[in-house]
Amino acid sequence: MKVEAGDRIPEWIMESVSAERMRTMAAILRDPNPVHWDRSVCDALGFGKRVINQGPLGLSYMINMLHVWAGPGCIRRLVMTFPKVVLDEDRTAARGLVTGVRTIGGERLADCDIWLEREPGDRPLVGSATVALPQ
Amino acid sequence: MATPIPTESEINAIVGHAFPGGVYRIDHWENFLLTGCTGADILPGGMVHPVVLFHMPILGCGTSIGEMFALGKAESDFSIGIESYDWEMFIPLREDVSYNIRGRVVSADRRKTPDGKPFDRIQFQFEVAQPDGALAARTTITWHYRRGLGS
Repeated sequence: MKVEAGDRIPEWIMESVSAERMRTMAAILRDPNPVHWDRSVCDALGFGKRVINQGPLGLSYMINMLHVWAGPGCIRRLVMTFPKVVLDEDRTAARGLVTGVRTIGGERLADCDIWLEREPGDRPLVGSATVALPQ
Repeated sequence: MATPIPTESEINAIVGHAFPGGVYRIDHWENFLLTGCTGADILPGGMVHPVVLFHMPILGCGTSIGEMFALGKAESDFSIGIESYDWEMFIPLREDVSYNIRGRVVSADRRKTPDGKPFDRIQFQFEVAQPDGALAARTTITWHYRRGLGS
């Protein structure tokens, strides 16, 4: 796999963030926060009647992007920040850019900037990843 | 009535707090549902979707999101903001493996936003080890406990 700094990672699209998946996720996480499943709470907080996606779920879209690109088990490190919330029915694209390639212990690693994007320039999640590249 | 703001020394004092620790095994049903929530297909060879690294360390070391909120004296569920999640992955996680998990508070200090609003920055770190002791993953959660929202 030929990879070099400046390469764009093929995007991974979540066509519509699903409130039902958030409910399942809340149960799995044992997350008591109603902003992930109670529209009236979100409305009172000023988000309208749309529930807020769990941070890890938004992060998972970028994991999916990296797996499609470099294969399952490729991720060595993820660091993620959450400047904005993602709401149900949002269309989001996981995107990434290779910033460098290095070799450590015989493993080729790609350092990447990764982010989730709604509209151009609107990035609710922003972070970085280190990915082991297939030989 | 507004929730009283804990003192800075009360917040500093939780550094080093260790959770009980324990064992967590990811069954196929959990991995299946979790992976489905991400919009991906199940991974090959019993590999667990890495998104498990949010809740597995928390639950596996004997705590919960609610208890972590309470430990930092959160004013409400809505007062928590995420600064970052840092996940280091050394060995892919697999279904039906009993992982040993430990976790603790590694930092806690009071700060102010650029516009002068107080918050406490609390950092939790968890380690996930295979049954043979090999470290499979390390996660660091950094949350902001915003203060004075109700006043």
